[in-house]
Amino acid sequence: MKNFYNFKVDNIKDLSAQEKKFRSKELDLFSKKGFPNKREEAWKFTDLNTILSKNFANITNDYISLKEKKFELIKEFDHNYLFILDGKLISNEFKFEDKDKVLIKEYDYKKQIPVNNQNSLNLLNNALATGGYYLEISKNYKFTKPLVVYNHFSESIKEQIISYKNSLILNENSKLTILNYTNTNSKNNFFVNSFDYLKLKKDSNLENILINNDRCNCYFHNYLKSDLEQNTNLDNYILSTGFKFNKIDIEINLNKEHAKSSIFSALSLGSKEHQEIKSSINHNFKNCQSYQKIKNVLNDQSRGVYQGKIFVKQEAQKTDAYQLSKALLINDNAEFNAKPELEIYADDVKCSHGSTSGSIDLNSIHYLKSRGIPEKEAYKMLINGFLSEILEKLPDDNLKKFLIAKIGRQINGY
Amino acid sequence: MKTEDLKNSQEYKYGFSTDVENIRAPKGLNEKTIKFISNIKKEPKWMLEWRLKAFNRLKVLKEPDWQKPKYPKIDYQDLYYYSAPKSVSDKPKSLDEIDPKILETYKKLGIPLDEQKRLNGIAVDAVFDSVSVATTFKDELTKKGIIFCSISEAIKKHPDLVKKYLGSVIPLSDHYFATLNSAVFTDGSFVYIPPHTRCPMELSTYFRINASETGQFERTLIIADKGSYVSYLEGCTAPMRDENQLHAANVELVALDDAEIKYSTVQNWYPGDENGVGGIYNFVTKRGACRGKNSKISWTQVETGSAITWKYPSCILQGDNSVGEFYSIAITNNHQKADTGTKMIHLGKNTKSKIISKGISAGKADNMYRGLVEIKNKASNSRNYTQCDSLLMGNKCGAHTIPYIKNNNSTSTIEHEATTTKINEEQLYYCNQRGLDQEEAVSLIVNGFCKEVLQQLPMEFAVEAQKLVAISLEGSVG
Repeated sequence: MKNFYNFKVDNIKDLSAQEKKFRSKELDLFSKKGFPNKREEAWKFTDLNTILSKNFANITNDYISLKEKKFELIKEFDHNYLFILDGKLISNEFKFEDKDKVLIKEYDYKKQIPVNNQNSLNLLNNALATGGYYLEISKNYKFTKPLVVYNHFSESIKEQIISYKNSLILNENSKLTILNYTNTNSKNNFFVNSFDYLKLKKDSNLENILINNDRCNCYFHNYLKSDLEQNTNLDNYILSTGFKFNKIDIEINLNKEHAKSSIFSALSLGSKEHQEIKSSINHNFKNCQSYQKIKNVLNDQSRGVYQGKIFVKQEAQKTDAYQLSKALLINDNAEFNAKPELEIYADDVKCSHGSTSGSIDLNSIHYLKSRGIPEKEAYKMLINGFLSEILEKLPDDNLKKFLIAKIGRQINGY
Repeated sequence: MKTEDLKNSQEYKYGFSTDVENIRAPKGLNEKTIKFISNIKKEPKWMLEWRLKAFNRLKVLKEPDWQKPKYPKIDYQDLYYYSAPKSVSDKPKSLDEIDPKILETYKKLGIPLDEQKRLNGIAVDAVFDSVSVATTFKDELTKKGIIFCSISEAIKKHPDLVKKYLGSVIPLSDHYFATLNSAVFTDGSFVYIPPHTRCPMELSTYFRINASETGQFERTLIIADKGSYVSYLEGCTAPMRDENQLHAANVELVALDDAEIKYSTVQNWYPGDENGVGGIYNFVTKRGACRGKNSKISWTQVETGSAITWKYPSCILQGDNSVGEFYSIAITNNHQKADTGTKMIHLGKNTKSKIISKGISAGKADNMYRGLVEIKNKASNSRNYTQCDSLLMGNKCGAHTIPYIKNNNSTSTIEHEATTTKINEEQLYYCNQRGLDQEEAVSLIVNGFCKEVLQQLPMEFAVEAQKLVAISLEGSVG
C-alpha cells in the first residue's frame, strides 16, 4: 500500500547538526512503527492509521506559516492572551498582570522533556515540532485574570501536519487559569500533533481548560504531560468538540505528598466525530488524590472513547483515586467505548471507578413534556444539565457563564 | 526443593501423587502424537481429521503474550500429551474393574465413586490425567434420556451430536491454547439434556493431574436442549511437583430455547510453594452460547489454586431475552498470579448480563480482573451490570481491574463499578473485641466479602469453597 504521508526533517529550517541528527533518529523510529493502530493497547478503540489513510492522500510537513492574522477577542470576560498561529507564538498581552512576574518566550527545542515512546505520535512530534511557547510564572504570583491562548489555524493549511510543543511552569505558590481556545473554520483537512508539558511546583494551582470554538475538518492529537509537586492542585476541563478526530492523552504524575489533580470533561459529539480521552494518573507518592469525571453525549454516528488508568505505586499509601465515566447515547449509530483501568500495588488505598452508558431517562422527558416543553427542548435541557454539572467547581463566574454558553452551542450543533 | 520435600509439606492436602502404571504417548507435539491419541481412543476418521486441521492451524498461530502474568516459555515438544493409567486402557465395564489405587485416590480427594455409599445423588465423571476413569449414576440418567459420559465415548456413540456442536462455540481456529486443545484433547465430559427435561441431580466432573511432565487437555461439551435445565460442577486437584504443568482445557456450553445451564467450578490445582516453585498453569477457554430465546447460562467460579490462572468464561447472548451471569472469586496468595474475568457479548434483543467478581490478593500475588461487555447494534433494550471488588492484604501484592466496555445501542444500559481497598480496620477491631483472633476475623470478613458469589454455589460445593477460601489465605495475615 502506498504511504499516505511523507515527512522530511529537511523541511524544517535553521537546525543545528545535532538537532537534525536527533530529529532524523526520531523520525526513523516513527517510520518503523507508523501511525498507531488498534493492535496497540493504547489505541484499541481508535485506529488512527485507518482513520488518517481514509481521509488523507498525502500528509506532509512542508507548510510555511503566514505571518499575519487578525483574530477576535472574547468579550465575555477580561483576560490576558497569547496568540498562536499554526503553532507559532505571534503576540501576547498581559495587561492585567505584573509583567515582571511572567516570562514568555518561544519554546526551546534544545531542552528535551522525556516522553512516552510507546506512543509513536510522540516520536513524530519530537521529529517535526516547531514553534510553541514557553511560559513561566514567578514564585508567589497569582494571576488576577485568566489567560486565554488563542490557537488559530490558517485556512491555507491542507493535507499538512502541524506539530508543536508548549511548556508551562508554575513556580512555588503561584496560580493561573488558562483557557486553550482553538479556533479555526477551515474546511480543509489537516492534522495537528501537539505536546504540552505542565510543571507545578510546591503549593501552586492551575486550572487548565481546553475548548474549541467551531466545527472543522481537523484531526487533533494532544499529549499532555504534567508533573505535580507537593501540595499542588491541577484541574483539567475538557470541552473541546467539533474536531473530526480528537484524542487527548493525559499523563499526570503525582510525585509528592498532597498533590491533587482532576479531569472534568463534557462532550457533546455529533455527525461522524471521533473523540477520545485517555488518561494515566500515576500515584507515585503517598497521600495524593485524583478525581475524574467524564461525560459524553453521543449523537448521529459519533464515537466516544474513554480510557482511564489509575496506577498506584507500592509506596503510594493513603491514595484516594476516583474515576467516573457517563455516556448518553442518543442515536443508535453512535458508540461509546470505555476502559476504566486500575493498577494498584499499595494496600491502604481507596480506589474506585464507575462507568455507565445508556439512553436518556424517558421518565424525565415525559415529565418535561407534560409541563408543556416540546420534546426537542426537553432533550436539550436534560443534556445541558447532564454536561454543565462538571463546571460546578470552577470559581470564576464570568468564565463559567462563557463555558456554559459554549456547551449550549455544542448541543445545538454549532 | 525436591518433589519429596514438597510431599512433606502439609498445606496443600491434595498434593500426594498416586503410583500407577501409565501408558503414555511419546513426548512431543506432532502429527504422530495426535494420531497416537486418536488411535488409542479408537476414534472415527472424521475426528482425526478434525484434530489434524486444528494442528495445521496451530502451526501458524502465535502464543499470545498480552496477559499480565508472564511465564517462562513452555517447551511444547517436551511434554507428554497423553497419559493414562494402564489398568483403564481397556475401559472398565464396572467400578469393580477400576484399579483400587485410583479409587483410593478419589477417596482421598473426597470424591466417592462408589454409588451405593452415596446418599444424595451427584453423578460424577472422574478424569485421571488424560482419561475418564469412571462415570457414576449412569443408569438413572439414561432412563431420562440424559447423556452423561466421557467425550471419547460420545464421539463413538453419539457422533451426530458431537459433530453438530463440537467447535461450534469455540471454533477450531480460535486462539493458541484453544486450538492446541482441539488438536490434542484427550478426554473430558459430554452432557446432553433432552428437551423439557430437568436433570434430577447435579452432574460433576473431577479432574486430577497425576503423572509428571504431562499436560492435561480436556474438553467438555454441554448441550441443554429446549426447555431443559442442568447444573454442572467441576473440581480440580493435582499433586505437588516442583515443575510447572500445563492445563489447557476447552469448555463449550450450548443452551437452546428456554434452557438453562449452571456451571460451577472450584479450581484448586496445586498453586506452587510459597517461593513460587511449581504449580499448574491454568490456561482454560470456557465459552457458552445462549443460542435460543430465553436461555440462560450462569458461570460460577472459585479460583484458589494454580500458579497462573488465565481464563475468561464467557457468554454469547444470541437469543432474544437470554441471560448471562458470571460470579467469581479469585484468591491469590504467595506468588500466584491470576488474570481472569469474563466476556458478555450481547447480540439478541432484551439480553441481560450480570458480573460479580471478587478478587483477593495476599502475599506477593497479582490479581487481575479483565473483562469485556459489548452490546452490539441490534441488541436493543439490553442491560449489563458489573461489579468487581478487590481486596488487598499486605503491601507486596497487586490488584488490577481492566474492564472493556463497548456500547453500540442507544436503548441499552451498561453499568460498571469497581472498588479496591484493604480489610476495614474497624471491622477487624470489632471481631477482635468479640474474642476472634486475627486469622478467624479475617476469614470471617473475607467470607462476607465473597458471600454474593458463594451463595450461587450448590450446597456441597459452597461448604468446600468456604473452607478453601480460609485455607488459601492461611499465613497471609499477621
